[in-house]
Amino acid sequence: MTNDSQQQQMIREAMKAIAERRPGRSKLVYDKTKRTIVAVTEGAQTPRALNITADDADMFAVATLSAQWLTDHWGTVLRDGMLPVRFSSWDEGDALTQIELGPLPAPSVVEGIVRLGQGSAAPKGSALQFILLPGKGPISDDSTFVAPDGSVHHAQGRRNINGKEESLDTDFVDLQPELAIRRSALLETNILRDKTVLLVGLGTGGGHAAVELAKCGVGRFDLIDADRLTVGNVVRHPGGLSQVGRLKVNVMRDMIYDKNPDAQVTVHPFQVTAENLETIRPLIARADVIICGTDNRPSKLLINRLCIEENNVALYGGAFRRAYGGQVLRVRPKTSPCHECFVAAMPEESTDEEISSQEAADAVAYSDRPVAVEPGLSLDVLPIANMLTKLALIELVADTSSTLKILKADYAAPWYLWLNRPEPGTRYADWPALSDSIDEMTINRWYGIDLARDSDCPVCGGFMESIAASYGLDPKNFGNLPSLPTKE
Amino acid sequence: MWSNEQRNRLILENEVLHREDFTQFSVYWYRETDSYEASGNTSSNSGRVYSLAIPIPRGFPQVRPPMYITYPLPLYAANGTPISSLGVSHDMHTLAPSSSGQVQICHWRDNRWHSGILLHKVFLKGLIWIEAYEQHLATGRPVAEFVSTMKEYA
Repeated sequence: MTNDSQQQQMIREAMKAIAERRPGRSKLVYDKTKRTIVAVTEGAQTPRALNITADDADMFAVATLSAQWLTDHWGTVLRDGMLPVRFSSWDEGDALTQIELGPLPAPSVVEGIVRLGQGSAAPKGSALQFILLPGKGPISDDSTFVAPDGSVHHAQGRRNINGKEESLDTDFVDLQPELAIRRSALLETNILRDKTVLLVGLGTGGGHAAVELAKCGVGRFDLIDADRLTVGNVVRHPGGLSQVGRLKVNVMRDMIYDKNPDAQVTVHPFQVTAENLETIRPLIARADVIICGTDNRPSKLLINRLCIEENNVALYGGAFRRAYGGQVLRVRPKTSPCHECFVAAMPEESTDEEISSQEAADAVAYSDRPVAVEPGLSLDVLPIANMLTKLALIELVADTSSTLKILKADYAAPWYLWLNRPEPGTRYADWPALSDSIDEMTINRWYGIDLARDSDCPVCGGFMESIAASYGLDPKNFGNLPSLPTKE
Repeated sequence: MWSNEQRNRLILENEVLHREDFTQFSVYWYRETDSYEASGNTSSNSGRVYSLAIPIPRGFPQVRPPMYITYPLPLYAANGTPISSLGVSHDMHTLAPSSSGQVQICHWRDNRWHSGILLHKVFLKGLIWIEAYEQHLATGRPVAEFVSTMKEYA
């Protein structure tokens, strides 16, 4: 794109002249040799020609305003004749995005004004104006705004740069219809609007799942995490350097809003501990699915207990050390193995966790035997996060009319295993590379693995009864056992 | 607030301890604070007396209960330094000591603990640690050398 302001003006004039079907000093012709459209200026001794490429066609700065915002404030516009408006200014003013369109503003914010017609006087010093001129008929282009009273207006954007006024392309956008239409090709529009997802742990996996579900149109989120975003997180986490220091729940809330502005997001900046269980319980009860992406076993076991007690489906995702692979466990209470069943059945897999933070390292290290922080690449965590999200989506559409509900039968296994590489020192060290063979397990493939419930599980099975029976006690009546000795 | 499942579990734990002839240990209910602790005095093979205490955490059995040696206090290493000063030590198989300097025996780490482990098994590991500790006093070699086969998972 050319930066020559004179050239820009010349092309602008030519294009405007064509659009308005009037003669102009510059005109566009097709250069057969260069196979591009060329702007030529009449009367110039040396015809000044400009090649207009596909990029040039999109070269003019554009301001994007929310049609809904203007609708909501139309009364003020009618009363005052004008309305202040603020924009994120991106790329040295090349794109101006109204602040109300999203929660993540640019570092530079500019102020402007929407004026109703030429009649109202612009306040002194207004460098950015959008003049609403009366129009006719239906919406003809992106710069047309239809007011709540049915009147049609065409916006003329103008800005003053170094004392020189230039026009500015103006687009009105209507967020929800435009977002929904993109999802509707596969997911029936608004089918997830009334669904609630509880995300416990907003690290790389949980954070990615949150954004993906927001893109799908999930309408309600509860987010639990006590951590703040650190510089070290940024190489993997959806949040970036500009958000370092913020609570992860707040970072992810804004990223969800940035994808689905109609979502309802409630943040809970605390840890999963036994002391918080009764605070967490109602969040689990109101969720349609729970995604647990915490990096420690105690929190997973506590969430597992609550989900079994509340009879709600939970998904547990995690990467193995250095993210050589990972797994997702889906727990449908009383139907599939719970997390305690999984721990009993697969003690090594359930203990093989990525050491992605100093806190996680300290939890398994000794002062005389330190453990290094060895996070894997984001690239290697994302397959697990994607599967986590896919399984959550399947749960969310299971009782709807969505065509995607047929996937429930395809994803029948409770445990899913993925390997990014054959990690030395693991039982997967000899796994072959991805091939077209179906006779062997390889890396870079998902495997759904069936697991049986533990009938003696302490959480979802008959652990107490089984222990009692093994000691010849009445497994049905613990009240017959002597009460505990008491101390004051 | 304890759930009925938790209270029943602790009653059962107490019964298992006694039926396994670990009668020196019991689970106690502290009426005033509505809290629980499994504790008792035991003797090593050499006849020395030790007191073990397991305060039951609110998240039990999903949350790992710590096990402390409450007597002798302080508990000294072979070189005369309090073992509690070593903190989380692989050589001595200890975790973070209590605020009053009681040594915490490493029976299971948090990432290995699960709800199917009975307090009987935790006390069993405590007794093994005590025997290993006395070997440490006699030889000066780390406790870990005497409990190296002690698997963390059930």
